Amino acid sequence: MGENIFTGIAESLRAFLYGAGVPPLASELIVLIVKLLAVIIFVSLNVVWLVYMERKIAAYIQCRIGPNRVGPKGLLQTVADVVKLLAKEIIIPRRVDKVVYLAAPILVFVPPMLAFAVIPWGDGMAPIDLNIGVFYILAVGSLSTIIFWMGGWSSNNKYSLVGGMRVVAQMVSYELPLVLSLLGVIMLTGTLSITEIVNAQRGTWFIFAQPLAFLIYFIAGVSEVNRVPFDLVEGESEIIAGPYTEYSGMAYAMYMLAEYGNMMVISCMCTIMFLGGWLAPFGWTFLPSWFWFFIKVYLMIFIFMWIRWTYPRIRVDQLLGFGWKVLVPLSLANIFVTGVGMYIYRAIGW
Amino acid sequence: MFGQGLLKGLAITWKELFTRKVTVQYPEEKIPLPERYHGRFELDVDKCIACGLCANACPNKVIQITREKVGKKQYLTRYVMRIEYCMFCGFCVESCNKGALRFSHVINMNQYFRDKVRLVLVDRPVPEVLPEEEPAKAADGSPAETRGKTARAEVAAGKAPGKEG
Ligand code: SF4
Ligand code: SF4
Repeated sequence: MGENIFTGIAESLRAFLYGAGVPPLASELIVLIVKLLAVIIFVSLNVVWLVYMERKIAAYIQCRIGPNRVGPKGLLQTVADVVKLLAKEIIIPRRVDKVVYLAAPILVFVPPMLAFAVIPWGDGMAPIDLNIGVFYILAVGSLSTIIFWMGGWSSNNKYSLVGGMRVVAQMVSYELPLVLSLLGVIMLTGTLSITEIVNAQRGTWFIFAQPLAFLIYFIAGVSEVNRVPFDLVEGESEIIAGPYTEYSGMAYAMYMLAEYGNMMVISCMCTIMFLGGWLAPFGWTFLPSWFWFFIKVYLMIFIFMWIRWTYPRIRVDQLLGFGWKVLVPLSLANIFVTGVGMYIYRAIGW
Repeated sequence: MFGQGLLKGLAITWKELFTRKVTVQYPEEKIPLPERYHGRFELDVDKCIACGLCANACPNKVIQITREKVGKKQYLTRYVMRIEYCMFCGFCVESCNKGALRFSHVINMNQYFRDKVRLVLVDRPVPEVLPEEEPAKAADGSPAETRGKTARAEVAAGKAPGKEG
């Protein structure tokens, strides 16, 4: 039921273009652009919703009600905030590096959007089905760091600079366990293609086969998107807002919204690599595959938020120590155990 | 076990997620104020003897009293509180021997303009004869009585301006 809505739309668009006599290459291009646009719109709407959801969850955890005045149940709160920020001046302090300063908030949405282009939103619903999808997402995901660093460096502000430095330090120490933890899954499946990895989970989800890898990936993921308890980058009690300190108006909002975009990327990756992607659990296929994907992503996002409103921020030395002394060795051990396990399985001829 | 505290924390926040919310949606819902709440002042004009004790007790010189001598008695013509300087300490209310000055439960004294903030509790003209000294004249419909009444009505209707209360 509803399974084929989106693929059906793509098919009918293709058929329509074919009927209109558009050359196949051009029609493929048009279909691709429509797909990517749909993803961009979907993600933007999600990001706006996530800001609201975050505030609601924060409020509920703190026994409050949260935004409930703008629109029904406060649903339009984020829209109102965005409109307000759009109307505000983007202040450019004297002696900032203007080009880089202004480019950073524009570019900040690019890495998550690039990553979303290869994410399969349902069965056969990846806008672009890359055969090295995992590799691509990892490569694109770490690009955000450079953009945060650009903002931090060009602001000509010591807090921004410290924040930017922290982004880089954090990225260097957590990107490693993030990638290493995925290696276990890649070893099991022997492929870098996202679609094949999801299909390999028809039997068991990899969260059961690789629980440690999931945990490491999740922790490193929280750190990658700079969220509590690893939000040293923008720890307001220490360095105001880190790289965003000097930004105002929509430039600031872009950073905030990009944070939620990045969070979605990590949640999507968790879902794809460990939670079986669009596959329905227990064979409950009465819901369409894209809906299952959506549910799982939102589950992950909820856990992100739940953690944010539970834990305090850790110190810089704890952050780096935890990354290098705990996560990296653990993920290496995980790879080792996975390799040995696979070898034994093969030896006894499973 | 390592990480037990983390799980405990998560359990607590999970529970809080579903507990009853304590927010009171102010303009729609209100928490009942305690009996002795220090809200806006109200003055029982008939009890006030214009002694000026309240004005003397006030550390901030908030209260300004104007009185006239009518016959043998003091007659209160104007009772203004520059409420913008008031800290609601309650000394004035305590000092009033006649129990004329009281706190009410009106709390929203906010105004759009600063000059409207001032609280005018009494503003009335001086009668020729005091109301309580004219029982004989009241029978033949002296205008003094009616005038006194209008003055009081005016006070009751609230010289206190604008959107309060
Ligand atoms: S409450 Fe205190 S400050 Fe206010 S009028 Fe009375 S004595 Fe003065
Ligand atoms: S102390 Fe009481 S009776 Fe005396 S002037 Fe003030 S309000 Fe009137």
